[in-house]
Amino acid sequence: MVNFAHAALGMYVAFAYFELRQTGELVLPIIGLPDRVSIVDAPTIETALITCALLSAVLGLVIYFCVFKWLRTAPALARVVASLGLLLYFEAIVELRFTETSATQLSLGSILPEGSSEWFGVSVPNNRFMLAGLALLVALVLRAVFRHTRFGLATRAAAENEKGVLLLGHSPDRLAAINWMVASLLAGVSVILIASVTKQLDPLATSLLVVPALAAALFGGLRSFVVTALAGLGIGMAQSAILNFTTQTDWIPSWIPQGGFQQALPFLLIVIALTVRGETLPGRSTIPESRLPNSPHPRFVGMTTLILSGATLIGLLTLDSQWRLAIVVSMIAALIALSSVVLTGYVGQISLAQFAFAGVAGFATAKLAVDAGIPFPWAPIIAVAMTTGLGLLVGLPAVRVRGMTLAVATLGAAVAIEELLFKSSALGGLEGQRVPRPRLFGIDLGFSAIGSDNFRPAFGIFVLVVLVAVFLAVANLRRSPTGLRWLAVRANERAAAASGINVPATKLSAFAVSSMIAGIGGVLLGYQLEKLAPASFTVFAALALLALAYLGGIASTSGAVIAGILVSGGIVTQLSGGDIGGSPDRQFAISGLALIAMAILYPDGISGAARRALARRRRLRQLVSNNADADARAADRSPADS
Amino acid sequence: MNPLLSLSGVDAGYDGVPVVYDLDLTVGEGEVVALLGSNGAGKTTTLLTISGLLPRLGGELTVLGAGVSDGRHRTERRTLDLARRGLAHVPEDRALFFELTAGENLRLGAQRGDDEAVETALESFPRLHELSHRNAGLLSGGEQQMLALARALAGRPRLLLIDEMSLGLAPIVVEQLLPTVRAIADDTGAGVLLVEQQVPAALAIADRVYVLRRGRVAIEGNASDLRRRRDLLEASYLGDIDEDK
Repeated sequence: MVNFAHAALGMYVAFAYFELRQTGELVLPIIGLPDRVSIVDAPTIETALITCALLSAVLGLVIYFCVFKWLRTAPALARVVASLGLLLYFEAIVELRFTETSATQLSLGSILPEGSSEWFGVSVPNNRFMLAGLALLVALVLRAVFRHTRFGLATRAAAENEKGVLLLGHSPDRLAAINWMVASLLAGVSVILIASVTKQLDPLATSLLVVPALAAALFGGLRSFVVTALAGLGIGMAQSAILNFTTQTDWIPSWIPQGGFQQALPFLLIVIALTVRGETLPGRSTIPESRLPNSPHPRFVGMTTLILSGATLIGLLTLDSQWRLAIVVSMIAALIALSSVVLTGYVGQISLAQFAFAGVAGFATAKLAVDAGIPFPWAPIIAVAMTTGLGLLVGLPAVRVRGMTLAVATLGAAVAIEELLFKSSALGGLEGQRVPRPRLFGIDLGFSAIGSDNFRPAFGIFVLVVLVAVFLAVANLRRSPTGLRWLAVRANERAAAASGINVPATKLSAFAVSSMIAGIGGVLLGYQLEKLAPASFTVFAALALLALAYLGGIASTSGAVIAGILVSGGIVTQLSGGDIGGSPDRQFAISGLALIAMAILYPDGISGAARRALARRRRLRQLVSNNADADARAADRSPADS
Repeated sequence: MNPLLSLSGVDAGYDGVPVVYDLDLTVGEGEVVALLGSNGAGKTTTLLTISGLLPRLGGELTVLGAGVSDGRHRTERRTLDLARRGLAHVPEDRALFFELTAGENLRLGAQRGDDEAVETALESFPRLHELSHRNAGLLSGGEQQMLALARALAGRPRLLLIDEMSLGLAPIVVEQLLPTVRAIADDTGAGVLLVEQQVPAALAIADRVYVLRRGRVAIEGNASDLRRRRDLLEASYLGDIDEDK
């Protein structure tokens, strides 16, 4: 289980701790329960720490029993989606329950003693050492527990084979609940300590601590506590050292954003280390990855495309401008989701970098058009080709890692691209980069217009044509020998290799196709927004889109369409009148909960659930008619026969 | 004396659709009972239902002296409860923990602190001694099967369910393992229900035999009788094929 909401949980608990220290009130994170309960008037550090440690543990328990218990046998991706829902929820609940003033004015008092000491001529605060020592100590204790105690052995066994531990009389539920409590407690207490040392607590930045944390865990093979702790410390120290270095030297080109190297470099190093260590094929004793939803042979493609695109066209031409915007947002999201369908749904490679690829193509189009003066059809074509090349480049190391490791590695790649490229001053920095209007044969295909005619249908039709072309291409690829090779690799890499399929080449072809599709989506997104900024392609948006693609049905083209319809700002948002209950934060909290609920209800995605329901109805009808036949035959025979 | 396991009119299957019908079966103390039948006859389904990995669809099921009456969603509790009361199930896939060493696998099979049981289990399979520090995933097929049996033994079971122990093993390994199963029943008084495809080997160690055909008992009898009446067995296996034609 990889929990992307782990740092977010810690972030919440840290907010609760500092609020408790200040006001004596404990803030509860569950919608429906009272906002805050009074504990004591002026809690001491000890009281507050213990209260918040308990809060973390209880939260872990609640999260397990309300969410992840129901996903124990679900595909790994369904659990990832639920954890993303949880991440959204914690983000929103912090904004909701800690008012702006209290959140920014929390005095982050120190817990560990102040003071500093000299080391090789550099002054280092003592609390940094204590924190590092504490981390190592905890790692050593955990290592001992998980190596030598029965509980630890049973936990490791359950992670691998739940049926096995159940048959030996160990409850997987109990093991999971205890581990959730311990892990949540550690997350809560560590973020409290970190915030008290760094004097920084920002909802978004703190939640993203999960990225370097996962990187460290990957370095430990998601197995070794001590290696993970050392890798974590190493990443932290490397980041400080790089920051120091970049601020003191001037040979680093100015277009590389401040802090870009600091954020990106350690992660890239780990990805390289993993790649070198990885194998192109999994070994004999590798536990097979858990399943992905069924990928059906596409049927009625022509008919469905005709009906859907006809309806979209009518919508674009007849509905008002807000609707046109919603339809365009949905179509572009569907395109980018389609790139995940190819890579994750068909080939089983979980990539969180698709949105970053889209961003690269979007920015490249803008740069090519504005700076190099390359006209419309060529600028985006070159940009998409560049993105395809980048996809292949990211795909090269990805050939040697798989599963959750790949998910985290691509998340790191996405962060690196965001920090090094999107925030670069050469691309407009935070100001943003203008994207010129597309124009073909003198026809203006741009989106915006002045006055009541805003959001021009012409752009919508342009997007629709591109979407239909890509959609049909993907459906055809799925039916082609290439598609069969993709599915074979997804099902079992060893078996695919044994039947003569070149597994690395097959994966690379999927990386190329999917980054190309993501690139096309990014170009269109650029034309829609008309100005691209780092905020256009954040890691959070990327995670949310993958979650939606998964819920729609990651293994079928129809799933991408459903994801597009569900995307925030898309058709469903427009249908609901853009208002699903109160403030934006409340909406976020609710959509986080909705994501979790949908992951539990449809662990194989909506399109899969719909298909199963249809199949069941067909079977039932068949059963009924078969029984009627049998009854008729039985009536013909003598009763003694039966 | 009450049997360790008794099924009376049990229906078993998947998603509410039975594939085993109206099964009557008992296993007593120290008894080795073989459950035979061609592929798809319902042998594995029967074992899964006994240990609670599948919900029982009908009939009466008594395991280790307690009646079982569970709803659809209570099966996991039942599996746990039975495992703690002395039921050991060695499933078809062996359910070993590949990332744990052989020794750690054994420790998890034993009761808390029962190192003696681990030692006793190892005595039955001396080969495992030298392998106890190796990861289970790195053992050969035969060694893995020994480990699966030894792990079941380490829990001092009163009732042992073994599914297709001979699957993928060399005949010589099977010839070594099956007598060990017989010895377990004789030495510890545990009852054994053995699902097996190697009919002669199973008949050689079993006390009694049930042959399933399409989810129903086709033949039931003493192993010694059936050893003499191979024609009966062959008919029950081959009859299936005739019907298919």
